[in-house]
Amino acid sequence: MRKILCLAGIITGVYFYTKLTKEKKRFIKEILRQVPYLIPRYFA
Amino acid sequence: MSDYDVIVIGAGCGGLSAGSQLARKGFKTLVIEQSDMVGGCCSTFEAQGYRFDLGASLIEDVEVINWCFERLGTTIYDEVELVECDPIYSVILKDGTRLTYPLSSEHTAREIGQIAPGDVMGWLKYGAYMQGFMDAALDGFFLAPGNTLVDMIKMFAKTPALLKYGPLFISSYQDIIEKYFKDPRIRESIGYQSFFGGLPPELCPGYIAMIPWSEHAGIYYSKGGMIGIPDALKRLGEKSGMQLKLNTEVKRLIVSNGRAAGVELQDGTEVTSDLVISDINAKTLYLDLIGEEHLPWLARIGIKSYEYSMATPMLYLGIDYEPPLAGHHTITTLPMDELNDFWWKDYKQGRFPVEQYSIISWSSGSSSGMAPDGHHVIVITLAPGAYRLEGKTWDQIKPELTQNIIDHLSKRCIPGLKDHVKYADFASPPDFEKRLKSPEGAIYALRQDLPSSLVFRPATRSKSIKKLYLVGASTHPGGGVPTTIASGMIAVDLIDKYE
Ligand SMILES: Cc1cc2nc3c(=O)[nH]c(=O)nc-3n(C[C@H](O)[C@H](O)[C@H](O)COP(=O)(O)OP(=O)(O)OC[C@H]3O[C@@H](n4cnc5c(N)ncnc54)[C@H](O)[C@@H]3O)c2cc1C
Repeated sequence: MRKILCLAGIITGVYFYTKLTKEKKRFIKEILRQVPYLIPRYFA
Repeated sequence: MSDYDVIVIGAGCGGLSAGSQLARKGFKTLVIEQSDMVGGCCSTFEAQGYRFDLGASLIEDVEVINWCFERLGTTIYDEVELVECDPIYSVILKDGTRLTYPLSSEHTAREIGQIAPGDVMGWLKYGAYMQGFMDAALDGFFLAPGNTLVDMIKMFAKTPALLKYGPLFISSYQDIIEKYFKDPRIRESIGYQSFFGGLPPELCPGYIAMIPWSEHAGIYYSKGGMIGIPDALKRLGEKSGMQLKLNTEVKRLIVSNGRAAGVELQDGTEVTSDLVISDINAKTLYLDLIGEEHLPWLARIGIKSYEYSMATPMLYLGIDYEPPLAGHHTITTLPMDELNDFWWKDYKQGRFPVEQYSIISWSSGSSSGMAPDGHHVIVITLAPGAYRLEGKTWDQIKPELTQNIIDHLSKRCIPGLKDHVKYADFASPPDFEKRLKSPEGAIYALRQDLPSSLVFRPATRSKSIKKLYLVGASTHPGGGVPTTIASGMIAVDLIDKYE
């Protein structure tokens, strides 16, 4: 059940992402690109 | 026993704000500056009888700056001769349409109405929303530390109204402008201010979209040049005993048992202190002046991950006629989509096209004494320029680029300019780096989007080195004259609390 919910979540996310304008996609991409650094930056 | 209670590295606005306040509180304070003048990005230099502002050309949110002057027992209005700019700016769109936005928001509505009657309502709604945000930000954001999650919780607990403006933090500048304005010309006329946040409209955080509104609360020029503001802080600090050493570069921060204990100068002299405040780029501070070996591993990854903010080449012109300009600032701009494209296709690729957005500051139109009689000064802040160009160096392209920009501006908005230039100096990103030790010529130190802001920006009270505090554009609340002066106030409050 959990797997199905997870999959449904991902599919919905991808669906909405593809509907976004190219500007909005780049805005999100630029934030996502920096997500791995958020914890290290918190300690900077 | 240390030589000083506090050493401040760098006499930019943040450094002088902190240094002058601490001196007034009785701290024995030394400010060390590598260049021959104070102010850093907010300074004014002289060449062949002309006075040019090096970087900053205007201030807004003057109240924030005034808070610092009040702490120094005076007001900015008593210490600096401010000239209010009205109109705020005249903007020339790609198709040649010109809009001149006056200081009065009602008159601005009228100006918008002449081009796009349908957007007048948008202007009023946008204004009401942004005014609410501005009030909340002035109350809870500018002077609140952004060091820890607890600080964040306190910030929102103190000013719950900020929560209402959450969408501004997860939207882009472009989203906000497009939400309120439908006419492409009106959008174009207020799209370029995203670069005041250091990013193109599609990447800049939505809260920066407050600027086209907050400018209507008043924008000011400092008579005689922007250096008037840091000069006043210097004067007030020195009155309280603050010492200032110019032409002196700090080579290393002395760290002893995990604490900042002073600095080593370029000539090898060591000066000790109980506290150190840094007003320089945080990446340079941690990686070059301190050294990775002193940083915990997580902080090291964090510091290395920061990207420098954009750099903007500048063109300083001394001219022998009165330029036909409408006010202090004239902007040549492009539709937001073209500004975005420029970012990816030119700036990121190391190309610098001539026909780009630019801010023309006619400082001698606002203040006398900037140029010899009958002459004038204009300073042009150009579009973002990459530190490294594709295939050429800045020095190689400078002469031709200078001429092409002058020709372009003569055609587009300053008729006659090309026949009246008596002095021209082009400052590239590497020139800025050389002059201010600002890596890659970054104008706001570090990139200013959400993942590099608030708790994710280098902490005011260092989390890696005890007794070390950061001020200036590298730390919360980021780049800009009012914000860096606010950073000095935040640091002093934290020193009061912890030291
Ligand atoms: C082109 C440009 C246009 C701008 N326009 C505006 C504007 O119109 N309005 C506005 O509000 N803001 C503007 N800004 C931003 C604003 O000017 C800056 O954010 C602000 O002035 C930075 O202050 P700071 O405290 O970070 O110090 P900085 O100005 O960065 O100063 C740091 C100082 O440290 C010194 N230093 C560096 N390394 C060392 C060392 N090792 N030892 C000793 N000293 C050292 C440097 O020489 C410098 O003087 C502009 C900036 C630029 C560059």
